[in-house]
Amino acid sequence: MQLALNEDQRQVLDFVEALARPFASAPLHDAGLALESAELDAALVENGFLDVQAVEELGPVTAALVVEKLARLPFAVEAAFSALVRPLIDPHLPRPICLVEEGRTRTPVRFLRPGATVVVVGASGVRSFTAREEQIAPAQEDTLYAYPVAFLADMPEAMTLHAADPAEITRAWRVAMAAEAAGLLGAALASTVTYVSERKQFGRPLATFQAMRHRLAEAQVLTNCAYWLAMRAAATGEAADAAMALLHAQEAARRVCYDYHQFLGGMGMTLEHPLHLWTYRLKLLTSELGGRGEQGLAAAAALWGK
Amino acid sequence: MQFEWTEEQDSFRHKIREFLHANLPDDWEKFSEHGPASPALTAFARGFCVKLAEAGLLFPHWPQDMGGEGLGPWEQQILSEEMWIAGEPRGGQYMNVNWIGPTLQKYGTAEQKARYLEPITQGESLWCQGFSEPDAGSDLASLRTRAVLTDGHYVINGQKIWTSYAGLADTCFLLTRTSDDRKKGITIVLVPMDTPGITVRQIPSLIGEGDIHEVFFDDVTVPETARFGEEGQAWEIVAYSLRNERLGIPRFVLARAALDRAVAMLQDRGDFAREHVRMEAARCAALCEGAGTANYAVVQKRTEGLTIGAESSSARYATVMAERAVCDFVVEFLPEALAGGSPYLKMHHQRGIVAGIAAGSAEIQLNIIASDVLELPREPR
Repeated sequence: MQLALNEDQRQVLDFVEALARPFASAPLHDAGLALESAELDAALVENGFLDVQAVEELGPVTAALVVEKLARLPFAVEAAFSALVRPLIDPHLPRPICLVEEGRTRTPVRFLRPGATVVVVGASGVRSFTAREEQIAPAQEDTLYAYPVAFLADMPEAMTLHAADPAEITRAWRVAMAAEAAGLLGAALASTVTYVSERKQFGRPLATFQAMRHRLAEAQVLTNCAYWLAMRAAATGEAADAAMALLHAQEAARRVCYDYHQFLGGMGMTLEHPLHLWTYRLKLLTSELGGRGEQGLAAAAALWGK
Repeated sequence: MQFEWTEEQDSFRHKIREFLHANLPDDWEKFSEHGPASPALTAFARGFCVKLAEAGLLFPHWPQDMGGEGLGPWEQQILSEEMWIAGEPRGGQYMNVNWIGPTLQKYGTAEQKARYLEPITQGESLWCQGFSEPDAGSDLASLRTRAVLTDGHYVINGQKIWTSYAGLADTCFLLTRTSDDRKKGITIVLVPMDTPGITVRQIPSLIGEGDIHEVFFDDVTVPETARFGEEGQAWEIVAYSLRNERLGIPRFVLARAALDRAVAMLQDRGDFAREHVRMEAARCAALCEGAGTANYAVVQKRTEGLTIGAESSSARYATVMAERAVCDFVVEFLPEALAGGSPYLKMHHQRGIVAGIAAGSAEIQLNIIASDVLELPREPR
């Protein structure tokens, strides 16, 4: 048992932090809910931060740490699948990576765009194709989610079949989403805490009212557990740990998102405040891989069998 | 970051399990329905702890100059987990080795160390902690039990409540008021429980018989040498002592074990195929494991010699949520377990209600998280 960051991990996180600093605050935006930065994406690729899993002394925990940290930024970036799942399929697959479940391809797909790699995971194995324009139906104008999303309008007949085991890819998928959700939960909490510590009503900061303090403290407990479960799942590679980590993160997201907007009052309804960038991403993640019910069933099967 | 136990840690855990297997009676599971503070379990613990001491498993985490083996915080954690998961056969003596002994070593006079340390190391003493009062629960600093120094003796008058083990303990680690200065007016006195003027009354409880008590002090007189530390030093000493204890009992391991037990019973009778039951069981497991990792993150800081702060309150609260979820799971899907169907699950359920109440209520933990983890501006007082 060794739960501290090692020197390598600390260094990687420091580098990521320095690189992400120009992207740490949200610009005012009114063009839809999502916010992306091609510049940030390029910088991450260039510096190899999405490929840390393959480096022997770094591995999946470091990849999860990077994903968690990047998810805290107001800018959405496709890091989770690239860093934690792609190495298990083919490290050279073009980014962004979009994972979809076989038979569930009607769902909004994050980061889907021409040139993206779509990986279809299911009974037929792990298959992929490079998305072309005519296969994509845009949703960006109407979406309520703070990720860039689109729909798969069509799938090619022929896909590349990979040697990877679908169960193992699904496990890594859960780890990736748990790490991403942990970062989103952390950032949403921090954003809310800052607001209620500054905003005054009845002559004192909102955060001095116990009605809010206790709910925020409970949210901190859930967020802390989400972080540790995600890291443990990355470290152990166990199917049960991965399912429990995503289950807990999806439960936590449901518990906290409305509270945070509630605590911001009127500001919680605006695009001016960046809170929605994290909460409206979390909302979409609650549906990932069938939602918490399916994570629960997967965890139960892995823990106890039939 | 890695989440596996080392080979040494695994074999330490194995050694404890072997010991438990060899030294717990066959009917132990039924027997452990008696709470840790019951007369039956306390009497059992007196023999059991002597054997633990002989096997080197009573205080292996104490430093070598105190007669321990200097094992680290992970080993102390493993010891606590294995004992609690087995129904805490040490009874109240877990307090001796977790904090009373180390506190005696640090703050005790030569006379106090000579008198109290040896019986602790031999598994022969039982302490109770006289902290809460009827009007000083979460607000502990408002305690009023008075100790007045007269002619070289403290004369103590007042009342304590919720005191575990009081009915059977030899000595009370008693917080008294020696001046009106709120925190700085509190002084520790070590009071033998057979001192005239002490009356103990058991409070019937949901936790099992003999667990909590009222203790009355009527002109209880002890020599000045029974004072522990200086007058007014209690708050500092208790903060030090409980630093190692802030995580509290590792309840998440028993909650997880109880969950596994409940699942096995449901599987046996074919009731675990239902999806909503499986889903709820998984949710409980995630809460237990989440609490576990949060607790381990605090232990990690101890291994690095760092001060344990409010993150232990967060881990504690996570434990409370896990404990309650498992209790609710059992009640919802295995109600007969608490009506004679499973002594182990009944034992877990009885002890579970304590999680959010004893040793700093859940609301106090939330206050600490709000102020010291989230750093929210303080509430007006």
